[in-house]
Amino acid sequence: MPATAAVAPPPTAPEQLAARLSSGDSDESLLPTLREIKNQIIGNRTKKLLYLRLRAVPKIVALLSSSSSPSPVIVQAAAAVGSFACGVEEGVRAVLDASSVPHLTVLLSHPDAKVVDSAARSLRIIFQSKLAPKYDFLLEENKTFLLSLLNSTNENITELAASIVAHSCEKPTEQTSLCDAGVVQKLVSLLGGSSNQRDTSLDAISAIVKNNPEVATKFVSISNGKAFNSLMGLMQDRYPRTRLLACVCLISIEQAFPVYFQEMQIKTKLILILLDLIEEAGRVGDEAPFVLKGLIGESEELHRQALSVTAAERLCGYLRKGKAVLEARRLEGILLVLAELGSKLEQSRAQLIELQVPSLIIDLLKHDCAQVRVAACHVIKNISRSLKHLCAGRFGSESIVMPLVQLLCDSSTSVQTAALDAICNVAVNLTTKKSVLLQSGGVSILCQLARSMHSEVRLKSVRALRNLMFLLDRKDKDLIFTELTVSTLTILISDPDPLVQEHALALAGNFVDGSGVSTKFIFSEDISIIDAVSRQLKGECSPGMCIQGMFFLANMAAENESQKDAVMDCILPTSLDLAISPPNSFLVTFLQSKERLLRLSTLWCLINLVNPDQRNSLRVSALQGAGIISQLKTMVNDPCLDCKLRVRMVLERCLENRE
Amino acid sequence: MPVRVVETTSPSHSSGQDLSSAQPSPPSCSLLCAGRSFCGTQNVSSLQKDEAWKVNVRIQGCDIEHGFLCGTMEALNVPLADTPVVTFWEGEIVDAKNHTFFTGKWEATPEDDIRHWSKFPSFTPLLSQIEDDGGKSLDLSNYPYIFMRWKEQYFVNVGADCGLTIAGFYYVCFSCTDGSISGFYYDPNSSPFQKLELKCMNAKPGGFSFSSYELV
Repeated sequence: MPATAAVAPPPTAPEQLAARLSSGDSDESLLPTLREIKNQIIGNRTKKLLYLRLRAVPKIVALLSSSSSPSPVIVQAAAAVGSFACGVEEGVRAVLDASSVPHLTVLLSHPDAKVVDSAARSLRIIFQSKLAPKYDFLLEENKTFLLSLLNSTNENITELAASIVAHSCEKPTEQTSLCDAGVVQKLVSLLGGSSNQRDTSLDAISAIVKNNPEVATKFVSISNGKAFNSLMGLMQDRYPRTRLLACVCLISIEQAFPVYFQEMQIKTKLILILLDLIEEAGRVGDEAPFVLKGLIGESEELHRQALSVTAAERLCGYLRKGKAVLEARRLEGILLVLAELGSKLEQSRAQLIELQVPSLIIDLLKHDCAQVRVAACHVIKNISRSLKHLCAGRFGSESIVMPLVQLLCDSSTSVQTAALDAICNVAVNLTTKKSVLLQSGGVSILCQLARSMHSEVRLKSVRALRNLMFLLDRKDKDLIFTELTVSTLTILISDPDPLVQEHALALAGNFVDGSGVSTKFIFSEDISIIDAVSRQLKGECSPGMCIQGMFFLANMAAENESQKDAVMDCILPTSLDLAISPPNSFLVTFLQSKERLLRLSTLWCLINLVNPDQRNSLRVSALQGAGIISQLKTMVNDPCLDCKLRVRMVLERCLENRE
Repeated sequence: MPVRVVETTSPSHSSGQDLSSAQPSPPSCSLLCAGRSFCGTQNVSSLQKDEAWKVNVRIQGCDIEHGFLCGTMEALNVPLADTPVVTFWEGEIVDAKNHTFFTGKWEATPEDDIRHWSKFPSFTPLLSQIEDDGGKSLDLSNYPYIFMRWKEQYFVNVGADCGLTIAGFYYVCFSCTDGSISGFYYDPNSSPFQKLELKCMNAKPGGFSFSSYELV
């Protein structure tokens, strides 16, 4: 007979449930309320936030510590606390603010096993959050407590102990202390337990071993290498998450104790497993590329090895198949691995270019996620370190340059600076074609960014302009300079950041390289670039700045008589200098520098000043008076051959002039 | 074909200027740097006729630490071409660390190497020290000449079917004193000892000037 279906009662409004928590009761009458709250918030961020606003958490936490709360109530209250802390940062804060951790910790010793389980599970969830407090392992009582948890027969409690270690163990002193207390051995024994125990134990071992050669050495000696072999076995575990965590653990050991991993076999295996894991669903696939990047790091050997096992092809394959659907985190990770592969070896860059990586990732420069855009810029920056391909014009096309230029106006500063780095390299035009950057509106933006309040943005823009200016024809140089302005350049030459100063001077040097320099740019109204350079060279400045300043003066002195005179005015002591110090030019100090390139750049300036022409004799006399010729005579046997040859060039020219 | 790495991980590394003064120094010279131009001739005479092409060379990149440099070579008045022919080349600097006097590839035997290097008067004092191992223990940091091999990699502005060959390579000697270059082209299938002679060019009327870039 058909019967009317039972209708579930409508859910009680959160406001009502929260109000019931305030009733002051702590007995079993609260059980339905707690269960309903717990059921409503599980997996439901909106409901969690709503209950947070209704201040449900402090009331629930109070039940944990109430001596009159029966066990079933405590179990549900603990579960609810754990649920609030799961995946919602505001929830974690709320449970921490309500002092739930000490209350839950006390419950780990409760006579009721269900209470213990519930408390342990909730604490584990809390300790998965970065916001959870760090456990102080250096306190003896804390260490003892931790060991007692590890010795427990309760799986939830041992998992909790491992989570606490994974979350809190950071300093070498903590790592050593835990290792000496036998914690590592306990964790190793958990590797044979359930899947959850294995995973949390792997996490904890990684934290204890990380960057600690002493602890890593002890680990590999445990049971004559059996612990290490267990890890190797877990790389082949049927669960992807366990395989990933085993890889992380092995990489931590390898980086702390590389001697143990001299054979390439294990590292190759790690690379292959991580490449496979990138295909896994969920967080495992998202995190695997980051782990791979951490493995290959800055090791040329591992870069080569990764290429030999077709890592580049596989990563490109993942992008080709699914870049439109891959999670942003995974995309970012894949791009960062590609960037890493292109960072050091020319053979890697060549392979990535052959695989059409630049074309493959162009649209990722417009991805919604800022980190993906940054990672795509890193790929282009690193691959464009290839001089061979810069010369072939591989990075100068509109399809690459235009999206990068657009990113210069990105709302995220980290995207802007990443784009600036990429543009810095692609701006080096080694082809005979006109640079796309000159026609793209990029110059105006770079000049604006050179005036940014943000010093990193200023530095990178000036660097890019310097590279753009390299061997450019005079007309285009003048156009850039008109946009930048003399006053901006003089300000940059005196920037508070020494690196900005250095690159601004190099930019100025590139500008005056080549013939036909218009003096309107060098001596403009009351502002003079050469005065700005002179002030810097006479003040306290870094060797790098002095070198660029001297190359600027050398280039000026290679132009014509009036510019040579201007350089002489700059380098000779003024009447003020004469009044307060011995009448030597700062060039004498530069010529005495231990920095070879500073001596060289100074010598080239002098060579150009005494280049045979009409007013040479006057200049030679002036240099003599400033102590420069005497200094040069002491340098005829300079330890640097290049310097020695240039000293002789100057002295020969001075002698020719006298004759 | 081995391609030399350009190390640019350090932000202060410059392909145009070497800021390091670490020792022992590889052979280096401020006239051998990115941006520097040279011009001269290559003798391409054969038994049938005397011929010389005007040649312009520009250094595009220089990584002294890894013994690598690269640039372009422009050959003018080439009979088979309507326009000047530009090629991109990569160079190896003989520094005993990254590269020795023995080529070890490009169909050049050690005997070919010695035969070509011996064409440079500046090589003669070094001969006895390189016969066994190509000069692995030589210290060339204070020698006023830099020896290199330049290998053209591809045509920049014409097709590979232009009728010209870039199968061979140059043995090159660079004078640190005045930046002059001489070289000999080696290709088993071409006329032997075609000579390259170049002088360092000033872009400016009043002396030498310098331009630089820095890859990040």
